[in-house]
Amino acid sequence: MTDIDHDRWREDVAAYLLGALEPEAAAALERHAEGCEHCRAEIRWLTPALDALPESVEQLAPPRDLRERLMAEVRFEAEPADAPGAEPAAAGLFARASAWLRELGSGPMGLRPVVGFAAAVLVVAAVAGFAIGGGLGSGEDGETSTIVAGEAPGVTAKMVSEGDGGTLHLANVKQLPSDRVLEAWVQRDGEVEPVEALFVPDREGRASTELPDMDGVEVVMVTKEPSGGSATPTGEPLISVEVPQ
Amino acid sequence: MTVRREKAERLADEELMPLIGAKDPEAFEVFYDRHGGVAYSLAYRIVGERAAAEDVTQEAFISIWRSGARFDRARGSVRSWMLSIVRNRAIDALRSRAGKAPKLTFDDDAILEQRPAEELTEEEAMKHETAAEVRGALGTLPGEQSKVLELAYFGGFSQSEISRMLGVPLGTVKGRMRLGLEKIRGELAEGLA
Repeated sequence: MTDIDHDRWREDVAAYLLGALEPEAAAALERHAEGCEHCRAEIRWLTPALDALPESVEQLAPPRDLRERLMAEVRFEAEPADAPGAEPAAAGLFARASAWLRELGSGPMGLRPVVGFAAAVLVVAAVAGFAIGGGLGSGEDGETSTIVAGEAPGVTAKMVSEGDGGTLHLANVKQLPSDRVLEAWVQRDGEVEPVEALFVPDREGRASTELPDMDGVEVVMVTKEPSGGSATPTGEPLISVEVPQ
Repeated sequence: MTVRREKAERLADEELMPLIGAKDPEAFEVFYDRHGGVAYSLAYRIVGERAAAEDVTQEAFISIWRSGARFDRARGSVRSWMLSIVRNRAIDALRSRAGKAPKLTFDDDAILEQRPAEELTEEEAMKHETAAEVRGALGTLPGEQSKVLELAYFGGFSQSEISRMLGVPLGTVKGRMRLGLEKIRGELAEGLA
């Protein structure tokens, strides 16, 4: 190989590392480098410069709930397939959440809960030991509130609704064991059905879940369930909210 | 904090990867806590929008969780490997958002309007200039060199596309890329000296 030939390859190394070579040219360079120590040395020398590029960007703190969503999915998939309540990984939380979000018309990536719902309509406070006292009543400023029974003292809930759906926000929820998640349920005509998304509290004890279809819903409940969720509630509700009809 | 989490925190990235490959959530949690910030920051730098950056970061880490055993330490550090996954997914998201095969013309303005990546590289580079200068080597480069590096790395453009975009010969683009990376490399080496 002449020096001119080699300079031609060397000139492509930077573009190759940057991912800017066309696929055919990149493949050709890789084949050449297999037998060329000079080019391999050039690649090794410049690689730390490439690695510095992502480190040069302004550092932002990722949203807290991104971590919670990731870990909920990871813990679900980590469960043995034959564990009680477990589903096949392909039909896991990720897939369920994605399918649900697609139904809501979110983008093709569809992994992030829909946010940005409109004004709060219902505000609910849960206090252990109190019976449900007449459901929700309208407040002066358009919000409605009530006191509901629950097993978790101090847990508060706020429901934000828009159109046919809404978002249930819980606060002061105790941390869950790694093998447990929160699952929301809705009751229509006396029948209880799961909401197709699981969620977990963050470090501050906040937890949110979307309620995509509130049409005809009489009661919203949240229970603690095994990772992967359950087809029917397996324990007493952490919180239970009557919805005015 | 669990004992498993404490143990995982004492491990190097390369030691965490086999555990992640064996589906250990605590090992993965430590891995995310170490690198989630830079991953999200890179994704945001490329896609220029928080929701999309979240999606990219989530997809990338789930991909790592599912394929952690495939990490080959001979090909570099775990962090670099992880960031290359984030970068590739972010570029894919950018291309998907801009259309499968955006038509490239010789009109710079038209190209810039079509491609969000360019909008990002021009506007975000200005917005984050101070941080970039402090943190990274890009800010130390001549503008013509940093621009081709940004278009390639953060914009996902090929050298031919950049050549057409900037209206300069392909050889010039190659040369600027090489000079830019070499200068960064040289400064890194000086920093270690």
